[in-house]
Amino acid sequence: MLRFIIKRLLVTIPTILVVITITWGLVRLAPGNFYSGEKKLPAAIEKNIREKYGLDKPWYQQYGRTMWGILRHLDFGTSLKYQGQSVNTIIRRSLPVSAGVGILAYLLALIVGIPIGSFAALKQNSRWDYGSMALTMLGISIPNFVLGPILVLIFSLSLYWLPPSRWDGFLSRSIILPVITLSAVYMSYIARLTRAGMLEVLRSDYIRTARAKGLSEKDVVIRHALRGGLMPVISYTGPALAFLLTGTVVIEKIFALPGLGNYFIQASLNRDEPLVIGIVAFIAITLLLMNLLVDIAYAFLDPRVRYQ
Amino acid sequence: MSNPIWKRFVALGVLACLATLGFACNFTSQGDYFGSNEPPKLNVFRYVTGDEPQSLDPPMSLGQPEARIYMALYEGLVEYNPKNLSPIPALAERWEVNNDSSEFTFHLRQTGRFSNGDPIDANDFVYTFRRAISPQLASTNASLAYYIKYAQAFNEKKVFVRDPGSNQFLLAKDFEETETPEPLSSKPGGTNENPPSQAEAKPDADLAFHQLMHSPTRLTLPGTEKARTKLLASNAKLKAAVEGKELVPVKAEDIGVEAVDKYVLRVSLAQPAPFFLGLLAHQLFRVVSRKNIEQYGDHWTEPGHIVTSGAFRLKEWTPYNRLIVERDPMYWDAATVRLDEIHFYPMADNPSIMNLYKVGEIDAVLNHTVPNAWLDVVRNKKDYMDQKEAAIDYLQINVTQPPMNDVRVRKAFNFAIDKNAWAAWRKIVKPLTAFTPEGIFPGYPQPKGDDFNPERGRQLLGEAGYPVTQNSDGSYSCPKFPVKEVEYIYNTQESNKAMAEWMQAQWKQNLGITISLRNMESKTFLEARAKLDYKGFSRGGWSADYMDPFTFLSVFYTGGDSGTGWQDTKYISMLDQANRMLDPQKRYELLAQAEKYLIDAQPIIPIDTASVNWVKKPYVKGMFPNPGSLFPWKFVYIERDRSKWDVGTPSLAE
Repeated sequence: MLRFIIKRLLVTIPTILVVITITWGLVRLAPGNFYSGEKKLPAAIEKNIREKYGLDKPWYQQYGRTMWGILRHLDFGTSLKYQGQSVNTIIRRSLPVSAGVGILAYLLALIVGIPIGSFAALKQNSRWDYGSMALTMLGISIPNFVLGPILVLIFSLSLYWLPPSRWDGFLSRSIILPVITLSAVYMSYIARLTRAGMLEVLRSDYIRTARAKGLSEKDVVIRHALRGGLMPVISYTGPALAFLLTGTVVIEKIFALPGLGNYFIQASLNRDEPLVIGIVAFIAITLLLMNLLVDIAYAFLDPRVRYQ
Repeated sequence: MSNPIWKRFVALGVLACLATLGFACNFTSQGDYFGSNEPPKLNVFRYVTGDEPQSLDPPMSLGQPEARIYMALYEGLVEYNPKNLSPIPALAERWEVNNDSSEFTFHLRQTGRFSNGDPIDANDFVYTFRRAISPQLASTNASLAYYIKYAQAFNEKKVFVRDPGSNQFLLAKDFEETETPEPLSSKPGGTNENPPSQAEAKPDADLAFHQLMHSPTRLTLPGTEKARTKLLASNAKLKAAVEGKELVPVKAEDIGVEAVDKYVLRVSLAQPAPFFLGLLAHQLFRVVSRKNIEQYGDHWTEPGHIVTSGAFRLKEWTPYNRLIVERDPMYWDAATVRLDEIHFYPMADNPSIMNLYKVGEIDAVLNHTVPNAWLDVVRNKKDYMDQKEAAIDYLQINVTQPPMNDVRVRKAFNFAIDKNAWAAWRKIVKPLTAFTPEGIFPGYPQPKGDDFNPERGRQLLGEAGYPVTQNSDGSYSCPKFPVKEVEYIYNTQESNKAMAEWMQAQWKQNLGITISLRNMESKTFLEARAKLDYKGFSRGGWSADYMDPFTFLSVFYTGGDSGTGWQDTKYISMLDQANRMLDPQKRYELLAQAEKYLIDAQPIIPIDTASVNWVKKPYVKGMFPNPGSLFPWKFVYIERDRSKWDVGTPSLAE
């Protein structure tokens, strides 16, 4: 197991470097510069700016400088657009917001989604089954950029209960709408995955054995069926959580949250090279780590995977 | 499936939809104002100024959102008048201008303080100006200061040329092909100057500098070997003169800013610039603390480090969330300041901003925020700000390629657009036929361009070799016109798209020509336009940097700046001549002639004068919908007495 983890971690490093290099190249290929604006700059001023930020040097020197900073100190440099703010600080500051909202949304999705899915599976073909599955279908098909404004329309603009946007910290009313909006899709998806997983497991031999042993239905479901039935949810959790942790652009934009997703989209539009590279590298690392965690969790939950 | 549960769900769905619709109707709110108008409990003004500020270092950002934040934190020699943006005294309590507006003497008030209590004097302004222009800072705004003597040369890292034998510098006038008269600021002696008053009278602190300013302009050459060699190779006379001479870099100390006395600042310009005073309220010239910047370097703007000079000081800054400023007790005019705090929220999504406004979480929004689709509702409310803006929309034309290099073709496309109909459809803009916004500069005799005349347009196209024929159904076609050589580019944005489609429809209807549209990501678009990497038309817009027609006319002043490829030495000399006029009305007339010349050449198609288009709660007073949407915050306050609230757009009359 340990060897497996170490091996996987070692593969991660070159992957990240490749990702950084490709991002570096792509940002350069995009037309325009961080300083280009509606009013075209006089040539001399453009030259001053290029000299100040080292853009007048040959590309390999610039590439070397970027990579050296990253390899040597894990330092992604200073944002070009947000003067004087280091990329590391920006990530450190905005990550908790994105990750917090993401984790809360995913927890909500699990808490609501798993019982609904299990219940639907246990009462297959009942009106609860059809009803909940119809609802989850709705949840999956309504995109969050539609759901968000609808919730805002109802709860903020008509009922005046909740603020329509902005961030006042985790312990405030401002967190409610973004979390609900964000979790809707995941909640629905998890409910459906749980239902499918449970249905498969409930028909399997070991459940029949458990029932034959005379275990109570509660024990059968919670100790045996749910464990197997949640496998699809677990494998879905890795990438979903990586995505949620690093921020969701749409939600952060609609609700004006100071999260990573917001910075990411702005950084690309601004051609803010250090910030783009920093965030992309961070997302790549998170994604790879999450997948690793999923593999480990698999091994714990499913003995078959462990012994392979 | 015949399961009744399905029917129930359908019914539920329909109910939900109806409920939403009901809310939506409710949303198009009744009442005189848009949403809640309950004043905030605390004496705090909450405002969305636009997207996240780039920096709190005033010369480092061009944007209007930042400008409004800088106006709270920093003060300059002058401040904008809240109603018409003309300069009013700020840290300078009075000033004198010489006869041709090429030298300005400012008398600073002695009560000016930074937020840490340090006094503000003329040397702080000298530092601020030199820093803003320095090539090391690389401010994108630096060109606004190029009117100051040797500022451009310093910013462009140029060199003077000195004869080592005689210690004399070569002079610019000896190498000019056409003679331009020196401004009075370069004339020797001090006869045109306004001497310091009796109380302040002292000999000039820096005599050598004074002499430098009042001597004929020195010759400057490019600082890099490569550019210099290229220039000298093309000018034999220059090359011979420079041979064997010393090159002396233009330094910060050479630019035309001088602390004559502790509280007297003199600014000498390279040319007459009557609008320069209005420009001095710009963020580039707002005073910063040398001690603070030298202590913390790049991190001086962080909370805890930052030292400011304005009516407010920084209290809290969490990027992408909020920036809070509080009343600064050190401010010289603290008694006038009425708000305890201003909360700036960085946001860019217009519907989200309007929602916050509606529920009363913010007290006003930035300009251009009411979405087009909301105008019918919001425009009739009494908190809607309906005023013209010092900004224009127009189309730029790449005049370097056929068929658009033919002025007749350009004119034909202009004649074919019904700008009145456009303005009526857009509801809040005013049709425009010239290149300066209409009705913004009092006393300016703005020229009139061509009105809508599709008949004339078709005729001109015919003269240019692309005859327009009328079809049996009344429509037009122009088969000979090379539609593949012309397109219309714009950056992706709803309003730009609407405008592009509207123009496309006009041309199709009136000329029978269908121009293809191409939308582009913002930076890609700017790059294509700047490099003339497009065929035909591109969306254009310009807003005033200062309150003078020249801020628009100068778009075509510095070569290649316009995104059209149109350059004309006659136009430039017309502007120069106008700016040398001592009589302001005569100057306006000459500027208007230059503008007429520009619109006759038609490198652009003017479309409209923009509208400020924002909302503020009626209890917000002292905030006026001025043409630049810039607000001196010390005059803004929250009025709790309902009888004194603003009903409708507050008047801009003095």
